Amino acid sequence: MNFESNEEQQAILEAIDRLLEQHAGPARAIELNRQGQYDDTLHQLLDESGFTTIASDLATENGPAGLEAALIVEAVARAGGVVACAAQMLVAPAVREASIAGPIALCTLDDLAKPVPLRFGAHAKTLMVLGIGDVHVIPLTTGELEPVRSSFGYPMGRLTEANRFFDLSAAGDCLGPEAAQTMANWWRLSLAVEAVGTMDAALTHTVEYLKQRRQFGRAIGSFQAIQHRLSLCAIGIEASRWLVREAAYHGAQNEAVAAAAAFTLETADQVFTETHQMSGAIGFTCEFDLHVWSMRLLALRQELGGVGGARRALVEARWGRTP
Amino acid sequence: MEFDWSPEDTQHRRDVQAFLEQELPENWDEMSQHGPGGDSQAEFSRIFCGRMAEKGWLTQHWPGEYGGRDCEPWRHSIVGEEMWAIGEPRGSQYMNVNWIGPAIMNYGSDQQKVLHLPKISAGQVLWCQGFSEPEAGSDLAALRTRAEKVGDEYIINGSKIWTSYCNHADYIFLLVRTDPESSRNRGISVLLVPMDSAGIEVREIPSVVGERYFHEVFFTDVKVPTDVLLGEENNGWNVVNYALQFERIGAARYARAAVTLDKLAEVAKERGMLDDPIVVDRLGEARALCEAARVLVYKVIDIRAKDRSPTADTQLARVLSTNCDNAIGRLALEIFGPESREYASFADTNFRLAMTAGVAVGATEVQLNLIASRFLELPKE
Repeated sequence: MNFESNEEQQAILEAIDRLLEQHAGPARAIELNRQGQYDDTLHQLLDESGFTTIASDLATENGPAGLEAALIVEAVARAGGVVACAAQMLVAPAVREASIAGPIALCTLDDLAKPVPLRFGAHAKTLMVLGIGDVHVIPLTTGELEPVRSSFGYPMGRLTEANRFFDLSAAGDCLGPEAAQTMANWWRLSLAVEAVGTMDAALTHTVEYLKQRRQFGRAIGSFQAIQHRLSLCAIGIEASRWLVREAAYHGAQNEAVAAAAAFTLETADQVFTETHQMSGAIGFTCEFDLHVWSMRLLALRQELGGVGGARRALVEARWGRTP
Repeated sequence: MEFDWSPEDTQHRRDVQAFLEQELPENWDEMSQHGPGGDSQAEFSRIFCGRMAEKGWLTQHWPGEYGGRDCEPWRHSIVGEEMWAIGEPRGSQYMNVNWIGPAIMNYGSDQQKVLHLPKISAGQVLWCQGFSEPEAGSDLAALRTRAEKVGDEYIINGSKIWTSYCNHADYIFLLVRTDPESSRNRGISVLLVPMDSAGIEVREIPSVVGERYFHEVFFTDVKVPTDVLLGEENNGWNVVNYALQFERIGAARYARAAVTLDKLAEVAKERGMLDDPIVVDRLGEARALCEAARVLVYKVIDIRAKDRSPTADTQLARVLSTNCDNAIGRLALEIFGPESREYASFADTNFRLAMTAGVAVGATEVQLNLIASRFLELPKE
């Protein structure tokens, strides 16, 4: 057991933070979101700097280096990066050894059937579809998915009407049940990883604001009614962070992932609610950075059954099948 | 970062589990229903801790010179988890090994070390902590119990309240005011007082938590030699802060909560309650909470294992651990429904033992204050 970074992890964290400081951040996220754009530059930089393939590059006999990849995804989320690195770095290498072209959008069969807006859908080069007992890895050309305007902080895309009923079995690789369970676990974990970085940034932003903002002749952050709630958010985020890292380290096993996601996605709702409530009206404006992170938290809670799905998966993993 | 147990630690956990299987009496569940302070559990703790001491496990995390084996705190945390999970057969002696012994090692005179540490590491002595007073609960620095130095003696007058375990204790780790002119956290000292000293009276405070759970301890002209002073006179606040960093996560509440939850899930499954999505949701929520509390406690153990100064991580872990204990205590009442109305039923016992979690060793609100100032660095004003 060791909760401190080793030298290699420290070097990775410092390098990713340097890159993100230059090429990401809330101002860039706001600009890209305004135009519904994907951050191709950041995506390319992550590729060229070797971050994207870190899970397989640092793989050991125990499998891909999930923890190191998770640390990077957490950092990118903290910086509000508009890139699909969670799917690329955590989900794809666990599901298939051969590389999968990014950006990657993740969805379930049900998501496609409805169809719902998918994060990064309009910009994805590959669609990974979690079926019932299988995974479809579908290369996209252009135009299968169209942009959808969304309030929730990510560029979104949805299958067009013309592509609504396309034949999955004829479109790309189909992987078996093992891949399906692996994809479900890593996808669920990647949501929690992103949520940790995102919550962290939302709370930090709020705490800094509440140290400065004065009402009733004192900093808002000095009121005990505020402090206790911020403390509870901090507890939730720290516990989420370590649950998620531990689960990534152990290769995203069912029970650990479900516990980490159940706790983290519940905390995400708390952090959304509290950071907005405490930031007041300015928190709803585009000029105030909070929305870059806060709105994303709600989007992350909507995939793969959200909190309820994670809790159900946790009960099944620990105590056996539920109806 | 890495999150593996060493093979030796994994084996140690198995050994401890096998030891518990062998040593605990058949009526252990009944015996442990009043918690570590109950009469039968207190008496049993002397036998049980003696056996643990023979194994070399009771104080294995202590330095060799004090009867330990210099094991990492991780090893001791395994013992703590397994003991709490099953109802703490060490009784109140978990406090001895977690923080009373270490406080004596750090601040005690040679004479105090010789007197106390061998008894603690042999599992043959019971302690209680004399901190809270009627007017000094969460605000511990308001304490008034007075120890006046007269010649080579202290004369103690005052009272302590909520004192668990004192009805069987041999010693009390007593916080007193030694400087009558002082206020708040200055002028406080720690005395290691034998409970059979003349002038000490113990009264049980009946409560809904369990029998022999709370007590008042009255000190009327209690005379003790000045060599019972631990550390420097009027420096007791520092001694207590040092000790409490160990105590706040000393009880592995999440481990007990997790075992209770496993039992609740088993019952829910047997009774077909897993058909109810609300029950499934509540069980999942509770299990995630146990895991969250565990991982934060582990973070604190890691800090201790590296011999770093304590951080606000202790408070984070403490709050989540108590929330977890409370939540699962209440969930037990929901799963068992009206059956929990019977005293000493499974749900009743677990609920009662969990219900004090947010108040003991510093209320949750005090922990949240500390997190706000030390972790988030929010202004006081």
